[in-house]
Amino acid sequence: MKLPLAWLRDYVDLESSSEELAQRFAMLGFPVEEIGHRPKLSGIVAGRLVTVEKHPNAGRLSICTVDVGAAQLLTVVTAATNVAAGQHVPVATLGAKLVGLDIALRTMRGIESQGMLVSANEIGFEEDWFEDGILQLDAEIELGTDVVSHYRLGDDVFDLEVTANRVDAMSVIGLARELAAALGKPLGELDLSYDYRHGADETGSALVEIESSDCRRFVAQRFSKLTVRTSPFWMRVRLALAGQRPINNLVDVSNFVMLETGQPLHFYDYERLAGGRLIVRDGRAGETIATLDGEVRKIQPLDLVIADESQAQCLAGLRGARSSEVTESTHELLLEAASFVGARIRRMSVAHGLPTDASSRHEKTIPLALGEVGAARAAHLLQAEGALPYRPIVVGAALEAPPAIAVTAAQVQALLGMRVSDNEIEAALKGLGFGVAREGRGFVATAPLWRGDVKIREDLIEEIGRIAGYERIAPEQPAVFEHTISSKKYNDERRVAHAFAATGYREAATFSLQSAQPRERYQTAGVELPGGVLEISNPLSEDHRYLRFSLLPGLLGLVTRYPSEMPLRLFEIGHIFFENAETAGAMESAAFETAMAAWLLAIPKRDEPDWRDTGFIEFKSDSLAVLRTIAGRSAEAVSGTQRELHPGKTATLLLDGVDAATIGAVDPRLLAAYGSDARVYAGFLRLHDLPGYRVPRYRAPSRYPAIERDLALVVAPEIPAIDIERAVRAGADGVIGDVRVFDEYRGPQVEAGKKSVAVRILLQRGDATLTDTEADAYVAAILSSLAERCGARLRE
Amino acid sequence: MTNAWPNGRAFDFIGGTPGSALISQLTDQLKALGEQLETALAAAHDLAALEELRVRFLGRSGQVTAVRRGIGNLPAGERPEAGKTINEAVSALERSLAEREAELQGRALAAQLDVAIDVTFPAPPARSGSLHPLRRATEDACAYFERRGFAVVLGDEIETEYYNFDALNIPPDHPAREGLDSFYFPNGLLLRTHTSPMQIRTMQAHPPPIAIVVPGKSYRRDSMDARHSPMFHQIEGLMVAAGIHMGHLKGMLTGMCRAVFGPAQAVRFRPSFFPFTEPSAEVDTTCPGCAGSGALGDGANCKTCSGAGWIEIGGAGMVHPDVLRESGYDPDAVSGWAFGVGIERIAMVRQEVDDIRVLFENDPRVLEQLA
Repeated sequence: MKLPLAWLRDYVDLESSSEELAQRFAMLGFPVEEIGHRPKLSGIVAGRLVTVEKHPNAGRLSICTVDVGAAQLLTVVTAATNVAAGQHVPVATLGAKLVGLDIALRTMRGIESQGMLVSANEIGFEEDWFEDGILQLDAEIELGTDVVSHYRLGDDVFDLEVTANRVDAMSVIGLARELAAALGKPLGELDLSYDYRHGADETGSALVEIESSDCRRFVAQRFSKLTVRTSPFWMRVRLALAGQRPINNLVDVSNFVMLETGQPLHFYDYERLAGGRLIVRDGRAGETIATLDGEVRKIQPLDLVIADESQAQCLAGLRGARSSEVTESTHELLLEAASFVGARIRRMSVAHGLPTDASSRHEKTIPLALGEVGAARAAHLLQAEGALPYRPIVVGAALEAPPAIAVTAAQVQALLGMRVSDNEIEAALKGLGFGVAREGRGFVATAPLWRGDVKIREDLIEEIGRIAGYERIAPEQPAVFEHTISSKKYNDERRVAHAFAATGYREAATFSLQSAQPRERYQTAGVELPGGVLEISNPLSEDHRYLRFSLLPGLLGLVTRYPSEMPLRLFEIGHIFFENAETAGAMESAAFETAMAAWLLAIPKRDEPDWRDTGFIEFKSDSLAVLRTIAGRSAEAVSGTQRELHPGKTATLLLDGVDAATIGAVDPRLLAAYGSDARVYAGFLRLHDLPGYRVPRYRAPSRYPAIERDLALVVAPEIPAIDIERAVRAGADGVIGDVRVFDEYRGPQVEAGKKSVAVRILLQRGDATLTDTEADAYVAAILSSLAERCGARLRE
Repeated sequence: MTNAWPNGRAFDFIGGTPGSALISQLTDQLKALGEQLETALAAAHDLAALEELRVRFLGRSGQVTAVRRGIGNLPAGERPEAGKTINEAVSALERSLAEREAELQGRALAAQLDVAIDVTFPAPPARSGSLHPLRRATEDACAYFERRGFAVVLGDEIETEYYNFDALNIPPDHPAREGLDSFYFPNGLLLRTHTSPMQIRTMQAHPPPIAIVVPGKSYRRDSMDARHSPMFHQIEGLMVAAGIHMGHLKGMLTGMCRAVFGPAQAVRFRPSFFPFTEPSAEVDTTCPGCAGSGALGDGANCKTCSGAGWIEIGGAGMVHPDVLRESGYDPDAVSGWAFGVGIERIAMVRQEVDDIRVLFENDPRVLEQLA
């Protein structure tokens, strides 16, 4: 909210700079988002126009003589048309500084002007918020008074934030109280004094009837003998500084009291209320209300309305109706200072798209005690405007005595970790308006009526801490203690992430919220979805309507978005989501959510035969390396299947015979749907099933030389390399240092219906040097194993 | 017996000459050999030439061997002296060779130092992977807490209203619970709006004392712009034990900020309001962009903190007694603190990213740059 320091100074003495004050407010919990600096103004004094005459040489100029309390009258030429003798006006004297203007002696059409009469924009106010022409000061002002300091025109305006629990501080007096308490200064009092016509309100409590419990309390007060006119200048200045346009004295008092006390008011033209009374009730379907902003709004049962006997006259807490609006001809008004249930006002405000200054306070539920304060402050101000106040009537809940809360300095220290003395505690609480009594070794404090947010000791300690200052809390390291809570999930995730990074993959973070596009592309591609896609009921945009059912769409999106001649290696770790069809309905398990890792290699197309995919082999190499890092042991790739992947180019990676991950070439139909012409390989692993890391054990490498033998074999094309390797191992168990199929050939050089593969075998004994003769024998055994298990024979 | 010298000269060095004369002749021969070697060494410019000379003079069928063979013709009494003379000469020859070898090796090494390459010639990029800036920020922060004995726990992103709101003392009519701020599913579940539900879940599963941090994704109905994202990451912290106070909270957050931003960080608490903590505070730390001065070197306002000297990183406070009670803890026996800090904010500030969307675009060039 906007807080003019000019207004704040009505209640607390300010000596510090704006920056220091802003810092103070921030440390009290009211961060100042902006310091609005006022223009530098000087040399403006209060004057009274003694004579006003037409300029002899210029029809549009007037020559004024002005009494500024000095021995000599000033002669001032003005082009303004709203000047008349007797008016009190601001006069910029020679040397004065105005907005973009320095005043010097000036001759206008032959007449020397010894200054300038001042209008709104010259002192930094919106022109159309004030008189069209020269500003009119209050008649009480002493001539010659420095207008800038008198009205505090140069004081800055803070725009500060008030937390949701402190609606009482959405007011000048509330913030003044905070500041005074923090600075240890006295707080000025709101002038609530007025004389009402005792017992003259014959309507009594029948004036207001509360039908809905969402109206907690309603203070009503009638005023008569009103004269609608422009508000005094001091009031208009304060409103304008607070960003509120001055209208007339009735509207202005209403706004002024809301800004100053925090209690929103509504004024009804009493004579226009059917039946002369108000009923607070639920809205009725079919009702409408023409609000002050000119809109005709449909009323819903959700709405709380304040109605007379024939129609709704106000959307509670939001805005009143034209039909009972105060106008120039209003003679009697009925004031409403109410407290509603905030949540209802907020829903109404949202439903009507009508956030107002009043609703911003009402939706936080106005403290019950504020109603009387607001009404009395308005009565004081209206009486000053000549109105006759009636006795106020209060309907609804009685004020609740706030709880008495006991607190000791030791408790303060135990919670805040800082020492606050008894004297400080007492001063802080008293400064904030608490009732404080010493009792035993501590205090019993009673919150002021407007502080319904202070209910328990912790609340009270927070108040003490705020005033003492959180900067006094010294950082301290708590002692470490043993506990049994597991970090396994986090450690697993970290292990996986680091393994991919170490293998040359870059981590991406894509959105869990997606448009319909991924699902549609999967459907286009004919790739089945693993389950129902979860849809948000109230998405913010179509881009973020669905939850991701796979990590692949996000990564594929990056492949198409950032095409590259260089291989692109990406991974992502995150949750995927489905509808859980089996348990739909059961609250907690209606959604299936699981943590996954997905990784991807994208390379430009390569020219190679159908039976060979070197990109896959590279990807497999990466994937095995990652698993080795994750698990501390090597995985084995066997043929597998997985939706999203090519059915003939998918492998399951087994660790000790258990599925650990699936890798493969991305289904070409899916790539086509994504418009990618790259070769893309992807892998998936579920973090939930992540194999544990097994610390690798030492096995002494053989100290004896190895003998390497290469075999060129002819074998049926469907025999996978892993079978050949297994057959080799089986043929010479215990002496195979390593075996690797390292080349494959299909084509005219090999007989039809066969492929040729090259195997490199490392023969090695752990206990002695292998002789050539022994090696030959092993190779013979290997060849017979190959023939038996794979139907393989040596190539001619 | 004659000996043929490689240079073709031949002489007879025995033939009845008296012993002493023979020795003197031997000495002369050896001296001549020494001179020959010196001349040859001076002309030898590489190690291969030296090896050739070594073989020619000292090899098995070299010149010294030829001289040595002549000893057999000497009278037995003179042989030891002759042998000694020859051995001394051999040592001298070996020394000369070794000196020359050392000299040539030194020259060769010196010559290696004489070459230079263009070290600015571009290197092809090494294949390297990286962690996302958000994970790096998360890990740096969590690592600090782990060092202090905290567990790091993870939770689901779909939550119930009970864990996301009710148990955290957020009443049913709180604005955050309406469809304006939170993403709901038709069955009433919602995407968690903060990582705080894990406070309740962990406390309900484990008795005090407890010390955890919870990194993870959260979701709020904010439109995407330079500073907001409907999906974002938080780190939740929770410590509950006997005697825990707000100074411990400040101490741990100060440590975390130092681990993440650098050793000079300070932490400031500003009073605030959250339904699940009391007292509550906004957490600021020294702006790393200007070291807290609010100004840049040229006097301009620091862009990171807009001149404030502090940046806000999250909210914190002492766990509300109602929350402890709801989790089965006794607020009279234990107290605790909790915090939630924004990971995007940390990553953006320390890597000078000025638009949150950059973090989710995953431009490979940027991923590489920020790695």
